[in-house]
Amino acid sequence: MPDKSGNAYALTILSPIRAGHLDEIAYADVVRSRLDAWNFLENSPMARVPQTYLCRYFVLDDVFTQSLGGGDVFGTWQDFLSIFSDRARRRALPHEDHLKSRYLVFSCNFHGDLDAYLRGMWLAIGNEIRHAWEFCYAFDQVRNADDFVAYMKKCRLKASLFFVGSNDDPLDEQLKALYLKQEFGKFVVAHQGVPAAQLQQAYRDFIARVEPANLAGPSWSPGQYRLRQENQ
Amino acid sequence: MTKILDLLDIQGNVIKAYGRFSFPCARYLLLRIQHGERGRAFVAAIARQVTTAVTWGDGPGQIRKPLATTNIAFTFAGLQALELPEASLRGFPPEFVMGMKMRKAILGDNGPSDPEHWDPVWHGEQVHVFISINGQQPDYLEQRYQWLLGLIAQSEGGVSLLRGHRGDHGAADLPYQEARAVMENGKLTSKEHFGYTDGIGDPVFEGLPGSPQRVEGRGKQTVQGWEPLATGEFILGHLDEAKEYPRAPAPLSLARNGTYMVYRKLHENVGSFNDFLDREGRAYPGGREQLAAKFVGRWRDNGAPLTDAPDVASKQDWDRRFMQAAPAEKDRMLSAFTFDQDADGAKCPFSAHVRRINPRASLQTTPGAFDTPGALANRRRILRRGLPYGEVRDPQRDDGNHGIIILMMQADINRQFEFVQQQWINYGNDFRAGNDKEIILGNHDAEYPSRAVLPVPSESDAAPYFLRNIPRLVETRGGDYFFVPSMTALRMIAEGSVDPT
Repeated sequence: MPDKSGNAYALTILSPIRAGHLDEIAYADVVRSRLDAWNFLENSPMARVPQTYLCRYFVLDDVFTQSLGGGDVFGTWQDFLSIFSDRARRRALPHEDHLKSRYLVFSCNFHGDLDAYLRGMWLAIGNEIRHAWEFCYAFDQVRNADDFVAYMKKCRLKASLFFVGSNDDPLDEQLKALYLKQEFGKFVVAHQGVPAAQLQQAYRDFIARVEPANLAGPSWSPGQYRLRQENQ
Repeated sequence: MTKILDLLDIQGNVIKAYGRFSFPCARYLLLRIQHGERGRAFVAAIARQVTTAVTWGDGPGQIRKPLATTNIAFTFAGLQALELPEASLRGFPPEFVMGMKMRKAILGDNGPSDPEHWDPVWHGEQVHVFISINGQQPDYLEQRYQWLLGLIAQSEGGVSLLRGHRGDHGAADLPYQEARAVMENGKLTSKEHFGYTDGIGDPVFEGLPGSPQRVEGRGKQTVQGWEPLATGEFILGHLDEAKEYPRAPAPLSLARNGTYMVYRKLHENVGSFNDFLDREGRAYPGGREQLAAKFVGRWRDNGAPLTDAPDVASKQDWDRRFMQAAPAEKDRMLSAFTFDQDADGAKCPFSAHVRRINPRASLQTTPGAFDTPGALANRRRILRRGLPYGEVRDPQRDDGNHGIIILMMQADINRQFEFVQQQWINYGNDFRAGNDKEIILGNHDAEYPSRAVLPVPSESDAAPYFLRNIPRLVETRGGDYFFVPSMTALRMIAEGSVDPT
C-alpha cells in the first residue's frame, strides 16, 4: 500500500504510550488532555507546520470488536462437541484481540518528502511535539530533528490513509486557488449585468487586488477556518 | 396485497389536509395540564369528539362529514404532566423530549427567528397540549370552540388555556391562533401570502385512501415509475422505507397509528418579498413573474411546475393544456413532474423550494448509484398540513399579521423535518450549491449575505443569474414538537392505562 500519491504523502504514526502515571492520571490520559487543550487555542500548532494539508491526533485505547467473526469449516463439529463440554464450546469461540499498550496516533497528509516534512515539523513546533510525545516509549532519547525523523519512521504504519479534499499541489498553491475561486465568485455576483467596458475595468482592478501569480500575496492562511474581514 | 389502514384509529389531520376538504378556517389552541387526574378526565372528554381519518360519506353505515373537526397532540412535558409511566416516557426520541426551542441551533432559528422573538405563548416552560379545530364555516368553528371552553371550565382547574398568540393590530395575548385560507377576488384559494399555491405535492403512502393516480409525483420515484411511500415513514407501528419499524415508545399500542407533528408559525415578510422581487425582477432577463416562479419551482398563477413549463412560451402551452384537462389530469399535471430532464437546474433552480424540500430522484447524480433512484429523498418526506393566518393589508410592509401555520407530520422528527431544515433549507451542499440556502425559507441574514444561482442550460451562451443579498423572507414566530396519538392511545392516556410492561 503506497503512502504516496503523486506529491501527496499520507503518514500514519502509532507511538506506544508508556504504562506509567503522572500523579494518579495514566500517561495516556495525560496525552489525551494535552491534545484536547489544543482545541482551545486560537489555532492548532499544526497550522504552523509547513505543507500540512490535513491532520488528526488521537489516543487509541484498544481495538474494539463490534461482533466476533463466524465459525470455520469445523464449526458444526465444535457445536456438536459443545453438547458434552463447555470448554469445547469456549475454545470454538473466535479469538479476541487486544492492544498491549495505548497509542498516540498521528494521521497526516502533506505535500512533498517525508524527511523534509518531519524536519520542518520539528523546527516549527518542537516544544509542542515534546509535550505531546513526552510519555511515549523511547521518546526521551529524541533530542534533535534527526532523532525525531528517525523516531517517527520507526513508529510509521503504512496505512495509506488519505483524506479526501485536496490534490497534491503545494499548500500555498492550493490555498491561493481556493482564495481566487472564492473571490472570483464574489466578483461575478457583484458585477452581474455591468456594461462590458465597466466590467473589463472592474476585472482589471480585481486582478490587481487578488494578484493571482503571487502566492505570498492575498490568500487564505494555513489553518484558517474562520471567515474574517481581512483574508491576510 | 394492498395495505389497509385502520382509519378509525388514526387522527383525521394525519391523513387529511382539512383545508382541501372544505374546512378553510381553523383555530389552534395551546393548553397546560395543571393536574394529572383532572387533566386526563379533560382528555377523555375531548377524545369523544376527536375527528378520525375515516372516509366520510352520506350512504348507509357511513360516517358523515362533520361541520367542524377536533384533533389533539401532546408535547413531552404534556405527556409527563398526564403522568405517563416513566418507562414509556423514556422511549420517546431525544429531539421530541427537548422540544423545538432547544433545537434552535439545528433548525437555524436565529436572529429574528430566535425563540426570544416568538409569540409570548411560547415563552417560559413548554406548552403541554395542542388542540386544533377546523370548521367548514366560521360559525361551526365558534360552536366547537365554545364547547371546548366549556370542557376547560368543567375541568376544575385541571387544564388551562394559554393566552399569548399574536394577532391583528398588535394583539399579543390572544387565546388561540386563528388561521384561514387566503381569499382572492372573494374566492377561497390554496395560496399563501407570497401568492404561491401551497401543499400540492403532499406525499402519498401505502394505505392512504384516494385515487391511485395521485401517487404520480407524490409517492417515490422508482425505475418502474411512481409507487406509494412506505406507511412507516409517516405513521408509527408500520414498516418504513428501510423495512424497519420506526423507533417508538413502549407499549406498541401507545405508538401504533400515532405520529409526530411539528407545529411552526412562520411569519412572511411580504414587504421584503415584494421589494426583493421588484429589485431583482427588473434585472432578471426572464422578467418578474418568471423570477417569482424560480424562487419556488412553480408559477404563481396556477402552480405550473417549472420543470414542465420553464419559460413564458412553454408556460402558455402548458396553460392551454391545463385549461382543457379533466380534474384528474389537472392534478397529474401539477404533481407528476421529475427533475430527470433538468440535471443542470436550468429549469428549476437547485435552491428553489420544491427542489429543496422534495428532490425526487435528482440526488442520484450517477444513474444506478442506489437501489432506487429516490433513495436519498424517500426517507426525508413530510406530510404538510396547516393554513395561512392573517391578512396582508399593506404589501409594502413586513410587520403586519400574516404568515402560515404549518403542521408537519412524520415518523421521525430528527430524520425528516430537522434534516430537511438543516441540510436542505439552510445549507446547499447536497445540491452541489455550496452553502446557498433555500430561497424562500432559508435563514438569510445581512452579515453573510445569501445568494442563489439560477442556472442556464449547459449548452446555452447565456450567463447564469445570481440572486444577491436575499433578505430573510420568512421568520419563525413559534412552534414545538408534538406526539399525535392514535385513538386507542388517546383513550389509554385519558384512562391512565398506558402499560409499558
